[in-house]
Amino acid sequence: MSASVLPTKPDAVVAPARPGRPLVRLAQLVTGAVVLAALWQLRLDWTTVAGLPASITHYLRLMFAAPDWSKLPYALQQTWVSVQMAWVGALLGVPVATVLGIPAAHGVGPLWLRLVLRGIFAVLRAVPEVVIAIVILTVTGLTPFTGALALAIGGIGTHAKWTYETIEAVPDGAAEAVRAAGGNLLETARWGLWPAAAPELMSLALYRFEINVRTSAILGLIGVGGVGDLLTGYTQYRTWDAVGVLILVVVVVTMAIDAASGAIRQRITKGARIRVAGTD
Amino acid sequence: MTPLAVPPRPRTWPRTVAVLALVVAITVVTITPALGGIEIDLATIARNGHFGAARIEKMLHPDLSILPRTWRPLQETLAMAVVGAAASAALALPLSLWAARPTNPGVGRRVVRAVLNVVRAVPDLVYATILVAMIGVGALPGVLTLVLFDLGVVVKLVSEAVDSADPTYLEAGHAAGGTQAQVNRVLAIPQTWPVYASQVLYSLELNVRISAVLGLVGAGGIGRLIDEMRGFYRYGALAVIIVEILVVVLLIEVASNVLRRRLR
Repeated sequence: MSASVLPTKPDAVVAPARPGRPLVRLAQLVTGAVVLAALWQLRLDWTTVAGLPASITHYLRLMFAAPDWSKLPYALQQTWVSVQMAWVGALLGVPVATVLGIPAAHGVGPLWLRLVLRGIFAVLRAVPEVVIAIVILTVTGLTPFTGALALAIGGIGTHAKWTYETIEAVPDGAAEAVRAAGGNLLETARWGLWPAAAPELMSLALYRFEINVRTSAILGLIGVGGVGDLLTGYTQYRTWDAVGVLILVVVVVTMAIDAASGAIRQRITKGARIRVAGTD
Repeated sequence: MTPLAVPPRPRTWPRTVAVLALVVAITVVTITPALGGIEIDLATIARNGHFGAARIEKMLHPDLSILPRTWRPLQETLAMAVVGAAASAALALPLSLWAARPTNPGVGRRVVRAVLNVVRAVPDLVYATILVAMIGVGALPGVLTLVLFDLGVVVKLVSEAVDSADPTYLEAGHAAGGTQAQVNRVLAIPQTWPVYASQVLYSLELNVRISAVLGLVGAGGIGRLIDEMRGFYRYGALAVIIVEILVVVLLIEVASNVLRRRLR
């Protein structure tokens, strides 16, 4: 290369013009319009918005200035019931979701089976937990077991979706090898997919428990027990000092469970990788 | 021919047994009524199973007369979902940058993270119940609930994506003499854009699903109608509403899949 191709003056370098991207502009305009239309449709009462900070601080003071600590033992006891519902719900739901989720993955089950299963999962995802609980409580009555069953059935939709997405993300060399060696659907799942997907699936199972702990608070609304029951009750009767205690308990317990399960999940997924690296 | 030396199988069974024992122990405690656990009553299921079957049977006969009454609440639900997602998206971008290490090396990060952990630990329904008690029934407490809920989800995932993103771009920005704010604006935001956009779209979908719950406590949307139909035992109508939610959620899912593919 000779020096003559170099620009003699620095300002001879001209940056190319920015591309216009009219489609992106259009998408932005449409999004903006949709948001504005939605806002207009809601007709929010802006006068209340002005008083919002004041009223929120007022209620926060009611809740947390002098929490009614005498409610603490009962709150903890009911939270334990919620955690039990979450655990039993995960225990009942996760195995079913895993067994159904694996054949719903691409390249495992035949197309008709995949479509049927995915349809069922989509329906289960759309039905709110509360509605599932309404159906179940005619069978089992207003007990924490109803809550656990509702969590189990409601969780299947999402959990099975995660399962097949995980299975699809697994590199399919091993599964192909099993199939080439004449393995059927069951054998492919057991020897080709399960070893690679197991850590991730275990971690998801634990995550399901975490989510159930949160959701179990919702189920209190229909009266199946747990901390949600107390929360709705005390809020309805405006016993704010008790609500403050309950919120503290829920936040502390949820964060503790999240932290513990997060640490275990990290060990499950990362630990497995280190062990594999160490053996070879 | 030398025999192939297969390395010995690692001894993992003691750990497996320990983990299994722990799981079994927790399970026994949670399902033994004598230890304060939940009573799993299979006999009742066998005895009362037909009640549940009857209810599902009723749901399988959709009562289409409810349809005209669902449009308004459905529109309200959609509007709440959009406004909630948009407001939380606007707040989530700066918050995610504050909560991630490469974009906020200072101590402020810890504060933002701690606050968001608390925000995330409170269940959505608790927000809705308390906000309804504070500011009255209507769409406003619903939208605020959605904003709080979405913020927790979006900021966590986006800030984690920023944390694990390739830091060399940002380093180059610093090396060229950019301030942290300039680096964030010019380099970090474009890099996080796809994750951020797909999380916001996902939160829109979640919002539609949550609105079924929000209405139960008076925070507006289609949930109010669900609660009403439940009160009148009109399970056919309930089924129609659920199918509507299903259709809306599926449409949003398809749309967001298409958008996500284009955003990549």
